[in-house]
Amino acid sequence: MRDTLWLIRKTFMSTFKNYLNLFIYFVFPVMGILLATLVQGGTGDSELKMGIVNHDGGQAITKRMMDSVGKQDSMLVIELEENEIKGRIASGELDAAIIFPTGFAQSLIAHKPADVKIVSIKGAQVTGQVTATLDQHINNMVSVGRAAQGDEAKFIALYDKFQKPGFELAGKKVEDQSVNFNKTNQSIGYLLILMLVSASNLSGILIKERENRTYYRLLSSPISPRTYVLSNIIVNLTMMMLQIAVTLLIMMTIFHVDPGIPYWSMFLILVLFALVAIGLSLVIVAFSSSSSTASGMQNMILIPTSLLSGCMFPLVLMPETMQQLARFLPQYWLLDTFSDLQQGGSFGELSLNLIILIAFSVVFTLIAVYKFGRNNDTRSYI
Amino acid sequence: MNVLEVKQLSKKFGDFIAVDNITMSVKEGEIFGFLGANGAGKSTAINMIASLLRVTKGEIEVLGKNIAKHSKFAKMNIGIVPQEMAIYEDMTAYENVRFFAGLYGLRGAELKERVIEALAFVGLGDKHKSYPKNFSGGMKRRLNIACAIAHRPKLLIMDEPTVGIDPQSRNYILGSVKKLNELGCTIIYTSHYMEEVEEICTRIAIIDHGKIIAEGTKGQLKAIITNQKNISIEVRSAENLNKSKLEAIAGVNRVEVEDRIVKVTSDSEINNLNRIIQQLMADDLEIRAVEENEPSLETVFLTLTGRSLRDQ
Ligand SMILES: Nc1ncnc2c1ncn2[C@@H]1O[C@H](COP(=O)(O)OP(=O)(O)OP(=O)(O)O)[C@@H](O)[C@H]1O
Ligand SMILES: [Mg+2]
Repeated sequence: MRDTLWLIRKTFMSTFKNYLNLFIYFVFPVMGILLATLVQGGTGDSELKMGIVNHDGGQAITKRMMDSVGKQDSMLVIELEENEIKGRIASGELDAAIIFPTGFAQSLIAHKPADVKIVSIKGAQVTGQVTATLDQHINNMVSVGRAAQGDEAKFIALYDKFQKPGFELAGKKVEDQSVNFNKTNQSIGYLLILMLVSASNLSGILIKERENRTYYRLLSSPISPRTYVLSNIIVNLTMMMLQIAVTLLIMMTIFHVDPGIPYWSMFLILVLFALVAIGLSLVIVAFSSSSSTASGMQNMILIPTSLLSGCMFPLVLMPETMQQLARFLPQYWLLDTFSDLQQGGSFGELSLNLIILIAFSVVFTLIAVYKFGRNNDTRSYI
Repeated sequence: MNVLEVKQLSKKFGDFIAVDNITMSVKEGEIFGFLGANGAGKSTAINMIASLLRVTKGEIEVLGKNIAKHSKFAKMNIGIVPQEMAIYEDMTAYENVRFFAGLYGLRGAELKERVIEALAFVGLGDKHKSYPKNFSGGMKRRLNIACAIAHRPKLLIMDEPTVGIDPQSRNYILGSVKKLNELGCTIIYTSHYMEEVEEICTRIAIIDHGKIIAEGTKGQLKAIITNQKNISIEVRSAENLNKSKLEAIAGVNRVEVEDRIVKVTSDSEINNLNRIIQQLMADDLEIRAVEENEPSLETVFLTLTGRSLRDQ
């Protein structure tokens, strides 16, 4: 234990001596929050800009439905083609889009409403509210359809009658917390990337010490290789816990971003991710023969996976197959946990997500341990 | 008591045998020299003793205890000065020594005292706060040594501690080694500088292709080649020397002329000094002095291994 503390002390010392490290740990994540606030803009009270795609063109009923969506106080509606959605959402022109399928009007008359698809990057919170109000409206229409007994003219007449007094698509204004949530998630996305980089840098000390041969001196002392690696992991974890704590605190107090999740929940979940990051960094170290291979692997693994898993921009903007691929990445599961919690999911419901994160860290660590053990040069760590 | 006992030690790298079944022992108070050309297996043997390399076969005992079973005990009592520098460039000289000494459990006032002592010992007493990146090669070497001695090991293993440094630092290091030894530290000293080994070592092992091919004190090693003798004859001018006639004399193996010195290597059994002198006189060379030298360690090495110590 005394030995471990001695090694920990030294690792802390050299970590704090390196200013670049401190930037990666504490300054860059704050810049991430700043960037996220700028990109996401606004305070949260803005109108929702909705796009509507109508595949059921020329149908009077669908047209009327679209008009009623447009009548909402909090929504601004434009009509567009389906292939424009992604571009417009990405550029921030639109917050969400509703897609009416072909045959929608007929399905209402037949009181078997077809599914209306909603695309959004603002997170499920907005989508949920839009869906709820839309559903309510559609239910009303189904009743109208029943009353009209399949007669289209009668349906339209009834529709117009209902439409006049007090028949509004939604009673209440859609409250847009999404801006806050998006700022949070974007900031967390950047934080995840920086955590991965921080972890790799700190584990990289193991390789650097092999290269400057101080590791052999350590080996010739009574310190065991295990103690040595363990102390590195402890410093790594501690530094990342500090990083998480400081970043979240600054985000909530200085930038006044309300993440919609309690501080400690976020902290604990991110610590799980820290373990994943450490595991991954150890794998990189175990498979690298030199610092340059390690940083090569780092570049090849960390940035692309972070892009793919939605750390830099929302997943919905990516092709479907890419979105499926993201499910194999730990960053995806962390971001998913956060957005689920923002939608009011409980820890219990998210146990699968948490287990997946734990599994990632366990598997990575085991791979590293296995590989260390098989480096037949004595100079292996375990 | 033997500080180190090595029994039938071997090391293989794949199919390559770097250390081949060596057996040796080092007694308390010795400076034991490990002499061998590049790639002879010196570092490999030493690294096994210092637990830096896994042993392929054989046993190593330090202070009477097997290092495989009592690894912590062995490590506590050994200090190693690695062939290549092993220091932190981003830590001061003081921090370096303190960190490594701390690995041996030293703390507080005692640690501080030992660190100061070690740095003073290698002549870096005024460089506590300097960073090694600003050091000369010789200063780095000395810091490398300080890191190995602060915990006062009973056995200090030095792997070519003077390679590639200025003569001043080298002399300083050789002086420190002797002083350490006087203070009771047993030393294993690896080198391919014959003069160094000859100057400081009390006993020497010559290692070649992973095997110890000779071992003993300087005298004992030289006795191995007592069948050879070196005769140096100083003359006024060697211009008229008839080399082939000299070489034709029974027993003479080699004749070399260096300026005004005629060097003759000859079988020691045959008493041919008279005939050699007669020949020189016949050539009308004015003889100034005649000297019969002991063979040098260099000659011993050359004779035993058939190659020179350093790749020239
Ligand atoms: N890790 C290794 N893997 C494979 N071969 C090795 C390894 N380490 C050393 N060798 C080989 O073992 C032989 C002995 O090497 P060693 O370093 O012990 O020589 P040395 O006597 O210390 O030489 P030098 O004077 O150059 O330091 C060399 O041929 C070297 O190439
Ligand atoms: Mg060597």
